[in-house]
Amino acid sequence: MVVLRNVPILMFLGTFVVFGLLSPRFLEYQSLENIAKQASYIGIIAVGMTFVLLTGGIDLSVGSNMYVSAVAAGLLMQRSSISPVLALLVCLGVGLIFGLVNALAVTRLHIVPFVVTLATQFAGRGLGWMLSKSRAVAFPQSVTGLGAAELLGIPGPILIFSGVVLMAGIVLTRTTLGRQIYAVGYGSEAAHKAGVNVPRVQATAYVACGILASLGGFISVAQLGNVNSGFGEMVEFQAIAAAVLGGTSLFGGIGNVFPGTVLGALLIQMVWAGLVATRTDLYLQPLIAAGIIFIAVLLDSLRNTILARWERHNIRTEE
Amino acid sequence: MWAIRLKETFVRRVLLSDSFVLFLTLAYFLVLWIFLPRLGSVRNLSNLSSNVWPLLVLVIGQMFVLIVGGIDLSQTSIMAVTSVCGALMMTSSLDPELFAKNPLWGTLISEQGGLLAGSAMATPAGILVMLAIGATIGLGNGLAVAKLKMPPFMVTLVSMFFFSGLAIFVSRSENIRNLPASFLALGQNYLGQVPAGRGSVGLVPYSFFAGLAMALVAWFVLARTVLGRWLYAVGMNRRAAAVSGVPADGVIVCAYAISGFCAALGSVLYSARLGAGRPTLGENVLLDIIGAAVIGGISLFGGKGKVRWAFYGVLFFVLLDSSLYMMNFKFYTVNIVKGGVILVAALLDVLRNRVRAGRTAPGRGATA
Amino acid sequence: MSEPLLEFEHVGKRFFGAVALHDVSLAVQPGSVMGLIGENGAGKSTLMNILGGVLPPDEGQVRLQGKPYHPSGPADAARAGIAFIHQELNLFGNLSVVDNLFIDRFPRVGRTPLIHRRQAAHRTVEALAAVNLNVSPKTRVDRLTPGQKQLVEIAKALHSGARIIIFDEPTTSLTSRETQQLFELIGQLRRDGRTILYISHNLGDVLNLADEITILRDGRVVVKGPKDDFDVDTMIAAMVGKQIDQLYPSRKGTVGDKVLMAVSRVTEPGIIKGISFDLHAGEVLGLFGLMGSGRTELGRILFGLDSYRSGTIHVDGRMQYTRSARERIRQGVAFITEDRRAEGLLMEASVADNMALVALPRYRRHRMLGTVDRRGLGRAVDGVVKALKVKCGDLRTDVVKNLSGGNQQKAVIGKWLLCEPTVCIMDEPTRGIDVGAKYEVYSIINDLADGGAGVLCISSELEELVGLCDRILVMSKGQMCGQFQRSEFDEERILTAAFDGHLAQPSQGQSGVSN
Repeated sequence: MVVLRNVPILMFLGTFVVFGLLSPRFLEYQSLENIAKQASYIGIIAVGMTFVLLTGGIDLSVGSNMYVSAVAAGLLMQRSSISPVLALLVCLGVGLIFGLVNALAVTRLHIVPFVVTLATQFAGRGLGWMLSKSRAVAFPQSVTGLGAAELLGIPGPILIFSGVVLMAGIVLTRTTLGRQIYAVGYGSEAAHKAGVNVPRVQATAYVACGILASLGGFISVAQLGNVNSGFGEMVEFQAIAAAVLGGTSLFGGIGNVFPGTVLGALLIQMVWAGLVATRTDLYLQPLIAAGIIFIAVLLDSLRNTILARWERHNIRTEE
Repeated sequence: MWAIRLKETFVRRVLLSDSFVLFLTLAYFLVLWIFLPRLGSVRNLSNLSSNVWPLLVLVIGQMFVLIVGGIDLSQTSIMAVTSVCGALMMTSSLDPELFAKNPLWGTLISEQGGLLAGSAMATPAGILVMLAIGATIGLGNGLAVAKLKMPPFMVTLVSMFFFSGLAIFVSRSENIRNLPASFLALGQNYLGQVPAGRGSVGLVPYSFFAGLAMALVAWFVLARTVLGRWLYAVGMNRRAAAVSGVPADGVIVCAYAISGFCAALGSVLYSARLGAGRPTLGENVLLDIIGAAVIGGISLFGGKGKVRWAFYGVLFFVLLDSSLYMMNFKFYTVNIVKGGVILVAALLDVLRNRVRAGRTAPGRGATA
Repeated sequence: MSEPLLEFEHVGKRFFGAVALHDVSLAVQPGSVMGLIGENGAGKSTLMNILGGVLPPDEGQVRLQGKPYHPSGPADAARAGIAFIHQELNLFGNLSVVDNLFIDRFPRVGRTPLIHRRQAAHRTVEALAAVNLNVSPKTRVDRLTPGQKQLVEIAKALHSGARIIIFDEPTTSLTSRETQQLFELIGQLRRDGRTILYISHNLGDVLNLADEITILRDGRVVVKGPKDDFDVDTMIAAMVGKQIDQLYPSRKGTVGDKVLMAVSRVTEPGIIKGISFDLHAGEVLGLFGLMGSGRTELGRILFGLDSYRSGTIHVDGRMQYTRSARERIRQGVAFITEDRRAEGLLMEASVADNMALVALPRYRRHRMLGTVDRRGLGRAVDGVVKALKVKCGDLRTDVVKNLSGGNQQKAVIGKWLLCEPTVCIMDEPTRGIDVGAKYEVYSIINDLADGGAGVLCISSELEELVGLCDRILVMSKGQMCGQFQRSEFDEERILTAAFDGHLAQPSQGQSGVSN
């Protein structure tokens, strides 16, 4: 019973132990720090995705969002040499607008989120290609310097990720908006009847997701140094996987960012890093990674079925 | 949202009709033809046609899964893996420089090609193997969704990663050429010729027959058989269907197996056209598949869908694609327009539901 | 006599030409309980929806404390002090009681958006005390019983200052104890000066609780007045518009000897234990039990939807080995579930498609291909629809969710009749349908039995079973604890058996009761 209720943590520990045993290099500080760093940028996007998933929606456009925002910021830096901070703001601004477009289509036009974000994913990628003329956009030293920055020995990306998780966690558990997000995910009709401004809650989730996607993108770019035309592809699936592995339900209303999504993001990175550390054949890596994620989702589904069956045996009785 | 009051006009009837998307496609074609006379050229029509049938096969497979209320994100990776496996079997010669490191080198493949190299049965056997692989993967997906009760989105997502990884693994990222001519004919040849411009162009591509066959079978199953009714029932309400004696688990597995089969069939057509087994086959096609399904009106929630809707959706999508390139739009603009079109299609669907609901019993008033 | 708190003056409402309400006028005194009665479709929900701000009236107006009342939406109505406790509760299962109470506005820490948790918890405890509910504010709502959830909703309504509370069929999912608690609470609310509108099909309850009663039929007020003017018979007559001489049609056939279903020592730990009984041809066998007695679970186990650990089930002499609904259906067993919306019907499908669903395999033209014999099936469906008098437009295009509750239930029954079942298990066959439709369903059950089938009727309405059945079995806490022949039907004794779990006097003849 306890096992079934805590699948994310157990998977996390399990993977950690297995890879640790298979390859001691995995456990070295540098390796663990790398995992955390890599997990940070996906993690930030996954936190945004968690917001959207909690409301019962989905955002397939985060990858394209990252791309367009980064391209916009990068081109601006090239043309008019603005400071990196300003570039970051531009990047976030574009992410916000992207999220706003999604928000409006979902709340005002009443189109299903899957279709809306599928369309904006298409369109956004095209927009990014148009702006960049499909060429890689390089970022100057000032930004890549930021990417390597550390505070008190902790790499920047990890700090920012922690900050994002902290804020998101507070919003979700301690503010009205956060509780309303869970309510809307449980049932938007019921939420409406209870006086919740459902469109506003949903819109906030999509806008937050958009901003966080662009933030994650910027952090990733700061480490890579440039943005090529495939930047951000498939990121949405990694973000969704991280959230779901962390216990967020695709149906809405269930999930949390800490420990949930954090564990999910770390878990995925751990799997990748572990596979590299154990020197697994490069071509086998995606297979094993997929296998591990499958097992995690399977355990989660089993948990659901078993809990339901267990509850059946304890039906209410007349007192 | 504003309330649209449409009287019993021609517009209203067109809007609500089943063939709405078809009308839209025809209208679009006619309007565009005025500006782009080349659109109606025989050469272009032939080109359009050969794009339609492979995509139709894929969308029909997806439709079965959508009807039972699921989704199959793995169709593209099934395409890749069957393409590679089939090619490895049928190829008549492999360059050792590229393939020596391949895990199958020395066992199933060699410089002389694959297992079926040179054999007269190469093409039919190869195709059968591809279809079998596709159906089996689909079966696996279906079992995970039905018996293990895992969410379709995640199952097929993981499947997608796994099998595209497998395709790359088995091929070492190399394209596999030297496929038998009879196989390539399926994707590249035509039945009959028709004069076009300065030369002539194929009339009916062989892929048409595959598309037609698949469409007929799908229509028959959905409209005329018990299985068809069971598919819709499970999609509408799985529990109620199970209580009413529908073998829900089996039906779901069936739907996913069909989707896998169709992905494999599509892979046959695309691989033949491209002339090689490609581990990256289908990379960008998933969004086209779902886009065409949405435009056609197949519901993402299950319980609704017809073969001709799939056809109209594919027709529209292919026409749109072709016309945009013809208008010299760059590929990124095409993406933007496609995205916009999907949004508009979904919006139209919402509007149509509103107008339709205006005729029935009391609505709920001011709520969304 | 004081000023009425609430007045409806000549209220009318149409939906696309169909009249839902016509010239409805009624006045509700403050601090009183008004019982609202009527068949499904009589207009009760529409009237309450107007009051609750969901719909605007087309004619007439509503006055609150003498002043005109035009709510622009449910939020407006809530602000005006009107709370609507629906049958389907409006709570969020994934959130705590506190969250549910304050979801639209939490107490804040100063000017920050942070929730002041201690204040919220404290106020929640107060609100729960007002309804005598003793659970921790942090409890997740989906862990509460339906009765407790209802109390939370009432607490929520009171907390937002509701002066008028509308109850719509509140006792459907409550245990008897919870129902008592609810009635006591309503009494207390009345003493505190709140005004209650109570809608229910349970005429006895309404007579108990209400100060005044209003009866609607076809959108009009048929009769209204103080409760002393009414009794059950006059209420039914007014609702239906004609004298119903009896609520239950008379039985023509007799119970045969052939055993259609033999159940022996069926046990599933934690749910049922050692259940044994026989169902005979031509018999209407009732199964009565309170909530939690395992009666619905037994029905599902007999039909093969759920598994059981030990014991045997024989249908028509054949032992049932597998846990399979499909197998049971092949043996001629039918099962009408208690929740037709969730498990009985495909709400978005047409009436014809719904009714064809179970019998489909019997109408195959080619065994291999599985093609459907559409003409034959269509004829059969038409036949059953006519026989059952299912009211709808075009069978093939009308979607089942637009039908009234009674017609929906008839569609469910019709679906099973197409298979000509020999054993028919029905769980709450008349839940949520009005008096007129109930009579029709009872007739159908009688006809089934008269035709030689055996009907197992599981129900929580004892009066219904007493009026309908040849024999009643009583279950309590998962065990069979009593059996009554028609000649010895005594509501008090049966109810006692259900509560005490003691063995009632075993009777001669028919199979005995197991330990």
